[in-house]
Amino acid sequence: MSQMITIELNGQQQPLPPGSTVNDLLAIVGSDGKSVAVLVNDRIIRPESRALHQLQEGNRVELLIFAGGG
Amino acid sequence: MDVLQLGSYTFSSRLILGTGKFSNSRVMLEAVRASGAQLVTVALRRFNRQQAEDDLFGPLSSIEGITLMPNTSGASTAKEAIRAAHIARELSGSAFIKVEIHPNPQHLMPDPIETFEAARILAKEGFLVMPYIAADPVLAKRLEEVGCASVMPLGSAIGSGQGLAMSEMLNIIIRESGIPVIVDAGLRSPSEAAHAMEMGCEAVLVNSAVAAAGNPPEMAEAFAEAVAAGRKAFRAGLMQKSGSAVATSPLTSFLGTF
Repeated sequence: MSQMITIELNGQQQPLPPGSTVNDLLAIVGSDGKSVAVLVNDRIIRPESRALHQLQEGNRVELLIFAGGG
Repeated sequence: MDVLQLGSYTFSSRLILGTGKFSNSRVMLEAVRASGAQLVTVALRRFNRQQAEDDLFGPLSSIEGITLMPNTSGASTAKEAIRAAHIARELSGSAFIKVEIHPNPQHLMPDPIETFEAARILAKEGFLVMPYIAADPVLAKRLEEVGCASVMPLGSAIGSGQGLAMSEMLNIIIRESGIPVIVDAGLRSPSEAAHAMEMGCEAVLVNSAVAAAGNPPEMAEAFAEAVAAGRKAFRAGLMQKSGSAVATSPLTSFLGTF
């Protein structure tokens, strides 16, 4: 098996199999099926691009949701 | 029909509800339903796999007639608020953005300079900008001039329950404003919401007063009734105040006094 890559997910190190897409990441962390905004290196990745967008070693990924707020 | 107009959107409810500080999502959703609010605020937060149930988009979207108004809380500069607005629009699909920039967590007072700058840029980008501001008539006018959909001055500090402490300034803002004035923050009781509406506010935004009530859904309903009553009173036109008593019954021709 090829070596894992490491990305930064919401400020924490996250190992991933090489070639993982944004959708793969969402499934791994359990946020698939939720309304999540995804940023890779500060760029918004829209839902229609997530199945094809492959994550690279060292990518900074932010997953954001709507929580309670006034 | 008397509706709240914000950009191209119209709302029959003039109560905007915040979704923070509720004991749990179930109570919050019950309160939203009970309030009849059609515009509801949410905050942008990092997804946490340990608290996956925090995601409110699904549950709120399932309530009919709700439009989400994300806020930019957490931002302490215009740049951060603009970034948050872009991400929030991606999630909400709504053009509404509550610009909220407070650099000091001790008093949570909004930064007028950063707020103005963020509002100016976001309005130009087509957002319906709803800036949370101190009760400053000059800033309110400047925000109107750069294309904000409303101004949202505070009644008093966020979550303080000090009511309409800024009512003198609010009166000036309302008198001068060509866009809806919405009191945001500080309200504690439905009577204060009614008072704000009688003064001529177009809507009120309430969060803590409902979330921290003994029975949040019941309080949400009470606020809805108070807002509707205050609006009706404003439209009906309040009587003039007088410095002395003015009799309501005839004072002559009474029994043996003629």
